[in-house]
Amino acid sequence: MRNTTYTLITGASEGFGKSLALECASRKMNLVLVALPGPELICLADFIKRNYAVAVITFEKDLSIEENCFGLFKEMEALQLPVNMLINNAGIGSTLRFDEGSLQLYQLQIKLNVLATTLITRLFIGMLSKNVPSYILNVGSLSSFFFLPKKQVYGGTKSYIYFFSKSLRQEIAAAGIGVSVICPGGMNTNPLQYLLNKTAGYIGRLSLMNPEEVAPIAINGLLKGKEVIIPGRLNRCFMLLDKILPSFLKKMITSHQMKKMKPPATVNTAAVELNPLRPSIPLSA
Amino acid sequence: MKIFITGATGYVGHQLALALAQQGNCVHALVRNPGSDRIPRHDNIKLFVGDVTNRNTLTPAISGCDVVYHTAAFVGLWAKEAAIFYEVNVEGTRNVLETALEQGIKKIVYTSSCGVMGPSLHEPRSESDPRITGFDNDYELSKFMAENLVKEFNQRGLPGIIVCPSKVFGPGNDEHTFTLNKVIKNFIRGRITFIPGPGRIVANYCFINDVVQGHILAMHNGIAGEKYILGGENVSYLNLFKAIRLLSGTKAMLVETPISLVKIWAGLQWLLNKISNKKILYTTKNVHHFFCNKAYSSKKAIHQLGYRPVSLEEGLLQTIQFLNKKCHA
Repeated sequence: MRNTTYTLITGASEGFGKSLALECASRKMNLVLVALPGPELICLADFIKRNYAVAVITFEKDLSIEENCFGLFKEMEALQLPVNMLINNAGIGSTLRFDEGSLQLYQLQIKLNVLATTLITRLFIGMLSKNVPSYILNVGSLSSFFFLPKKQVYGGTKSYIYFFSKSLRQEIAAAGIGVSVICPGGMNTNPLQYLLNKTAGYIGRLSLMNPEEVAPIAINGLLKGKEVIIPGRLNRCFMLLDKILPSFLKKMITSHQMKKMKPPATVNTAAVELNPLRPSIPLSA
Repeated sequence: MKIFITGATGYVGHQLALALAQQGNCVHALVRNPGSDRIPRHDNIKLFVGDVTNRNTLTPAISGCDVVYHTAAFVGLWAKEAAIFYEVNVEGTRNVLETALEQGIKKIVYTSSCGVMGPSLHEPRSESDPRITGFDNDYELSKFMAENLVKEFNQRGLPGIIVCPSKVFGPGNDEHTFTLNKVIKNFIRGRITFIPGPGRIVANYCFINDVVQGHILAMHNGIAGEKYILGGENVSYLNLFKAIRLLSGTKAMLVETPISLVKIWAGLQWLLNKISNKKILYTTKNVHHFFCNKAYSSKKAIHQLGYRPVSLEEGLLQTIQFLNKKCHA
C-alpha cells in the first residue's frame, strides 16, 4: 500500500538534509522538501522521483525570514498534505573566532537555527497531532555538549535545540508525537566543510562521518523513539569521557583540537563557494 | 588548427594528442619531462617543457593557439601530501584558464571525472543529478573545484566545456595499478583476480578511443558552460569479467571480496606505509568507492555532441588484443 503521509524536511537541498531526504525516500516516505531557491532542490526532487516511487513536493524558501515560515505553513495547509514527520534540519554552521565573524552571520545563524526551528515546529504541531503517530526530528550538534572555542554562537544555538527538543518531548509524548534530537559530530556536509574538517585535530578527524552514514542512524533512532541520537561509536565515547574526565583536562583537549581548525589558507577557497545558495552574506568581519 | 594540450603524457592526453596530430592539427603539448617514455611522438606535435603549476611556463606554449584541451591532473585516492591534489588540479587549472583567457583562446575542453558526480542509485546518473554522498577524498573534491573554475571563467569570457569520462580502458596505458587495463592484463594472464563483492555492483566503463573522440566532439559541438558524461556501458563486475573471460578464454579465478577484507588490506597498506613508506592505494575511509554503483548515462553527449561509443565487447576485444600483443612483444 502506498504511503499517504508526508515527511517535511527543511534545508533539504544539500549536506545532511539531502542525505535525510534520500534516506526517507528509500523508506518509501513521501517528501516535502524546503530549501533556498536554486536549481539544486529541483534537481534533487527530480532525482528522487526517478529513483524511488514516492511523491516529492518542493518549496523554495529562505526560512531565516520569518514570513517565509508562515508562508510555508499556509501553502501546505492549502494543499492539505498530511504531514506526520517534521525534520528541522535547516541551519548554518561556523568555525570562527567570535571577533572574526560578521554581525550578519550571527543574526542569520540565530534566526535560522533557533527562530525558524521554533516557528516551524509551532506552526506544524497541530497538523502533526492530527496524523499520529507522528515524529519531530531536530538536528542538534555534539558541540552543544562541549564548550568548543570558535563555536560560541553555533554551539549556543544547538544547545537551544537540545533543550527545546528534550523539553517538548516531555510535553507532547502523550499526544502521540515523538521528539528526538540528533547530535552528530563533524560531518563532510559540503565541499568546504570537508577541507575545514581536514584541519581539525587528530581526534576530530578520526570521528568525522559522512552525511549518508548518519542519515539512516537518524531515521532509525527517530522511529524507535530515542530521545537523543548520537551517531558514531567514537562520538558516544566522547560523551562518556565528558562525564568522567575532570574539566581542566577536557578544556586542554578541546582547545588543542580546535586550535588549528580554520579554513585552509593554502587552497584558494574561492573555488569552493562558501555557500553557493547564499552568496551575498559576508561570513567574516 | 593550433591546439594546446596539457597532460600529454597521461593516458587520455597521450592518445588525444596523437589523434589531433593525425587529423593534421598543430599540437603544442606541455610535458614536465621531455625524456619521459610516455611522450606522444608525431611530426605535428611540438613539445613544450613546463608544468601547469608554473604559470610562466604556460604562456609560450599557449601563445598563438586557437583552442585548449586541459587533461593534466594528479590522479589517485591518496597522496602523502594531500595539498598536491589542490596544487595541480585546482591551482594548475586556474593557471591554464588565466593564461588561456589572457591569450585569447577561443574554447577550452576540461577533462574532469565522473568521480565528481559520485555514486548512483538504481538509475544511471545524468549530469544534472545531485551528488548523493558527501565529498570524502581530495581527488574528487579538487576536480569539483576545478569544474567550478571552468564555469567561472566561462562567465568571464573563456568558453569552457567539461567532459567526464567514466572508468577508461583500452590500448595505451597498462602500467598504473588502478587502471582497468592492468586488472584485465592480470586476469587474462591467468592470475587470481579480486573483485569487490557482491559482484553485482554496477559501474560504467568507457573505451579510450571513444573518450578521445568525445573530447574532439565536445570541442566542435559542445555548448559552452555545459558538462558531458563520456561513458560506455553500465555493467556489473561479474558480467564485465564474464565478458572478458568469454573473449580471452582465460581460466583465471575470480574472487568476490567483501568490503571488510578490503578494509583490512587498506589498514595493512597504512601500516606498511608507516614502516617502509610504501605507497598507499586506498585507505579504510575510501574503500567504499569500489563497493557502490557507479552507473552513468551518456545520453546528453550522444544527443548534443554526436558521441557514439562502441559496445563493451568491441572495446574489450581491442583491449585484449593490445594487451596480448604487449605480452608477446
